[in-house]
Amino acid sequence: MPDWKQIVRKNLRVLGVCSPEFTEELAGHLEDSYEALLCEGLPAEVAFHRTMSQIEGRCRIWLVLRFLQEDLMTGFIRMTGFIRKVALPGLLTSAASGFVSWALTVAHIWPRIILMPNSQFQMFLALSPWWWSLLPICGALGALLSQRNGGSRLQRIAASIAPGAIIGAILLLEFPVVFIFDRLVNHYWWDSAQWERLGLYLLSFAVIPAAFLLLGAGVAEVGTKTFGRPAQ
Amino acid sequence: MASVNAQIKRGSAELAVLTLLAEHPLHGYEIAKQIEAQTGGVLRFDMASLYPMLHRLERKSWVKAEWQTLPNGRRRRCYRLTPAGRKQIAPLRAEWRAFFQALQSVTGFQNA
Repeated sequence: MPDWKQIVRKNLRVLGVCSPEFTEELAGHLEDSYEALLCEGLPAEVAFHRTMSQIEGRCRIWLVLRFLQEDLMTGFIRMTGFIRKVALPGLLTSAASGFVSWALTVAHIWPRIILMPNSQFQMFLALSPWWWSLLPICGALGALLSQRNGGSRLQRIAASIAPGAIIGAILLLEFPVVFIFDRLVNHYWWDSAQWERLGLYLLSFAVIPAAFLLLGAGVAEVGTKTFGRPAQ
Repeated sequence: MASVNAQIKRGSAELAVLTLLAEHPLHGYEIAKQIEAQTGGVLRFDMASLYPMLHRLERKSWVKAEWQTLPNGRRRRCYRLTPAGRKQIAPLRAEWRAFFQALQSVTGFQNA
């Protein structure tokens, strides 16, 4: 009896279409085909060649192309799903929180800066109670839009905390660059104060805003459960 | 035997598979053989059309696949219709009925 698993692995190893599970499934199909042909009275060699014709030449190309097509379609569907359920609501939340921040600045409502005692750097904690108090509305907006587009709970949370996550990611990406620059160009060795500064900035601009945005998402969640889902 | 256009085959394949699986769970080879036998060889699935379609139906949660050990000790991946898949049969049938009626009104073709 030919080793059909080995044959499938060899013939369809291209493009990673051959997961162990799929290999076994196709091998099972070929095995059944081969045995059916033997039962029809065909000699083993002819039965083998006929069975092999299902995964050779044109058929092999078709099989690979069909799976590629399916993979591409699945990838596209997943991508559009991510855009609708996370990216767009997240962008809306970011735009809304940015607009609120800008509107407060225009109205001369500035964050309260608390300077931290340090001899080397200017370190501060920015407290923006007005901005923070309005952020739950932005978070709720993102969560509701994500929910409207069929987003799961995790996707709704991701959409609502997008502004905090974006600022946090920028800060976390910026600091290694500054760290490397200081070390290689300025020949400066970082001390604990630098890390404290990173912590303070993350707290002011990412963690606390994200908590308020999340609060809004939570209120939206409870609200829709209590008063019914918004129209789909 | 008259050959059937590939596009028509592809469109009807999902309905054929779902209808077959509505009766009982089957593995890939059995699905191909039963459709071939029931249609007198007009609809014939090769591996390139059958398995991508089955996996697509699985991703849509219309069918659920699970490994089963057959009496001869071999493992086969059997496909079972899900409640969501069962709900799809009626609209697909209606769609095909409408298609054939439209075709009939244009060509004068009559069902056998």
